[in-house]
Amino acid sequence: MTTVPSDDILLEVKDLKKHFPIHGGLLRRVVGQVKAVDGVNFYIKKGETLGLVGESGCGKSTTGRTVMRLLEPTAGEVIFDDPKLGKVNVAKLDSKQLKQVRPNMQIIFQDPFSSLDPRMTVGRIIAEPLVINNVASGQALRDRVADLLTVVGLRPEHASRYPHAFSGGQRQRIGIARALALNPKLIICDEPVSALDVSIQAQVLNLLEDLQKQFDLTYLFIAHDLSVVEHISNRVAVMYVGYLVEMASTEELYHNPKHPYTEALLAAIPKPDPRNRHRPIRLPGDVPSPANPPSGCYFHPRCRYAKDICKVERPKLRDVGNEHWAACHFAEELQLAGVPRYGKSAHAMPLPTVPPPLPNKTKSESAPAPVSGD
Amino acid sequence: MSVAQQPSSSAIPTSAPESAAPEEDIVLEVQDLHVYFYTQIGVVRALNGVSFKIPRGKVLGIVGESGCGKSQTSLATMQLIPRPGKVESGKILFREFNNQEPIDLLTLERNSDEMRNIRGDNISMIFQEPMTSLNPCYTVGDQIKEAIILHQGVDKEEAHTRAVDILRKVGMPNPERIAISYPHQLSGGMRQRAMIAMALSCTPTLLIADEPTTALDVTTEAQILELMRDLQREIGMSIMFITHNLGVVAQMCDEVAVMYLGRIVEWASVDDIFYNPKHPYTILLLRSIPRLGSEEHIRLESIKGSVPDPYTRVPGCPFHPRCPSFMPGLCDVEEPPETTVDGNARHTVRCHLYT
Ligand SMILES: Nc1ncnc2c1ncn2[C@@H]1O[C@H](COP(=O)(O)OP(=O)(O)O)[C@@H](O)[C@H]1O
Ligand SMILES: Nc1ncnc2c1ncn2[C@@H]1O[C@H](COP(=O)(O)OP(=O)(O)O)[C@@H](O)[C@H]1O
Ligand code: SF4
Ligand SMILES: [Mg+2]
Ligand SMILES: [Mg+2]
Repeated sequence: MTTVPSDDILLEVKDLKKHFPIHGGLLRRVVGQVKAVDGVNFYIKKGETLGLVGESGCGKSTTGRTVMRLLEPTAGEVIFDDPKLGKVNVAKLDSKQLKQVRPNMQIIFQDPFSSLDPRMTVGRIIAEPLVINNVASGQALRDRVADLLTVVGLRPEHASRYPHAFSGGQRQRIGIARALALNPKLIICDEPVSALDVSIQAQVLNLLEDLQKQFDLTYLFIAHDLSVVEHISNRVAVMYVGYLVEMASTEELYHNPKHPYTEALLAAIPKPDPRNRHRPIRLPGDVPSPANPPSGCYFHPRCRYAKDICKVERPKLRDVGNEHWAACHFAEELQLAGVPRYGKSAHAMPLPTVPPPLPNKTKSESAPAPVSGD
Repeated sequence: MSVAQQPSSSAIPTSAPESAAPEEDIVLEVQDLHVYFYTQIGVVRALNGVSFKIPRGKVLGIVGESGCGKSQTSLATMQLIPRPGKVESGKILFREFNNQEPIDLLTLERNSDEMRNIRGDNISMIFQEPMTSLNPCYTVGDQIKEAIILHQGVDKEEAHTRAVDILRKVGMPNPERIAISYPHQLSGGMRQRAMIAMALSCTPTLLIADEPTTALDVTTEAQILELMRDLQREIGMSIMFITHNLGVVAQMCDEVAVMYLGRIVEWASVDDIFYNPKHPYTILLLRSIPRLGSEEHIRLESIKGSVPDPYTRVPGCPFHPRCPSFMPGLCDVEEPPETTVDGNARHTVRCHLYT
């Protein structure tokens, strides 16, 4: 579907569907389908980060899990460029092949508290994938765990502690160390910083960026915070009720959106600048249920640009130029507002700087008390 | 057993009653509030001398990372500190009307009729999780009606009319239908609106909003914030707006108090907090959020380490172990007193760089 050379693509998802049956009545018959993911197409180039955004319930996590085959796809292809096997369709692999491919695809979850087994030491948590895949044992295993802890900014001696002894940011680091253990190519990050405070969020985002450079990683970065996604992604895909409505380079998508849903999402971001107060675009109603989506374009009941055709015909995701994909009947005509370029608008908030210590007030040479963490 | 640190003599006293303009109409004034939790493994000093004021009709934002004491500040105001927590010392002065003698809420028995009336009539609270204030067994309309009958002494019919009115005011598409719905039949955003409707049904003098939009999507959040702003202007109430989201602060607040480890480390107008921040913690918070729309990729500033364990006591400035401006021998020894910034009595900071 794209003009990007196939060799540059690590993952290509074609018409992916994941439907969950709804059971009802006494006989628990299937009475309907929750079409959580319903015909999703995207690709991720090697070494890049593709952001995936959308309101909750849009199917972001289900997409991530189905790509990993933690969930069985209902239909579609997941073409992954495995370093040994070459291009394989993960959706169709048998369990033996899947076992070979899996180490190259890892996932990190939002909640560092519930995703780590509280009864296992941090060392065992990180070592587990290495043991299961017979990659290392004995001293080599201990060395590898120590390495991984250092790589994510923790200390080797942390291996003997249990997860409860760590803060939220540190637990997310443990999850990242575990995901890195088998030298994966692709990491799916499902809201990895959503539960963290801003200062800790910045630490984890910086770490993910450093690791990407160091280990040549490719990320699918799922999040609902659009500022975070803009910061970390090379390209961004916008999802709405199981379907991608827009995909473009980050720059294009944020400054020159082509789908009214993207425009509304961008307008809703509370801008951290009190001199730039604004009223959001009215987005009436809620995200429709994927069990009973509207006709035509799923966004039409909430869209301020909707015309008659939108009620009956579902627009396909199509390239409107320069690898900018949009699923709106009027993508080419609409003049939609993106976010203003920072530094170019009238009120560019200067980035404050922390003052240096005042030498005349410094009274001793003592170092600050050590802080746990970094 | 107060352990309030006395400001050192070199400090310029700030926001003390005498320095405030005499005509200033203050709805809530918290003075030197200390809240401790006596747990089995030790004492948690959740609030260590918190002082601030909320002028009538203004929105005060309280920001800071989790655990810094935002929620305990709001709960103390409502006399709702949970066990084993206790207000050690301090004053919480509330004035329903201008020029009225203030009542110190802490002198009221927490279950007294007087305190209950204040909670129902004068100060309302909304939370991140709407189900903490909505009863799942009653319809939304019945719950609002009950509050109206109890606090405004009108009959059932009038209460119903007012309940539907207020549901319409908070932007419910079909207020008659919503009134006969149970909370679980509503979406997250609708439930949040229902909770706001209930909090506003008594037209409070002060609304305390503790992370009211944190669990919502940006689109719903933007609508709830717009709604709160409109209603605030219309009713003229004051708001204590608690959040950790600096974007929400910039959009919603008039004044901002930045908290760290149970203390307010900087207080200023929202414009000064963003355009002229002074405390290293405030500056670092501003540097740690991604800048929307930046041309070039600016690496995020992170604050080293994390908020210390609540059972430990940090000597000197509570931020010194994480602070790039740390001055050994001073910051780790003396707690910085509150000082004003550039002679502006409405901008205060607690940091040795400015003492
Ligand atoms: N196991 C499941 N059974 C039935 N419905 C599900 C299941 N998992 C997710 N869903 C539904 O699929 C939709 C998409 O969910 P999800 O992928 O978690 O969205 P997001 O991550 O974007 O918030 C939601 O409507 C959700 O209720
Ligand atoms: N039940 C409790 N027992 C012990 N400590 C508590 C309890 N509730 C709150 N605290 C402590 O009070 C401090 C402030 O908490 P809180 O006001 O909830 O923070 P915030 O709302 O800013 O995240 C924290 O250090 C927390 O550990
Ligand atoms: S008092 Fe010292 S340690 Fe505290 S914020 Fe100021 S410079 Fe940093
Ligand atoms: Mg999700
Ligand atoms: Mg809180």
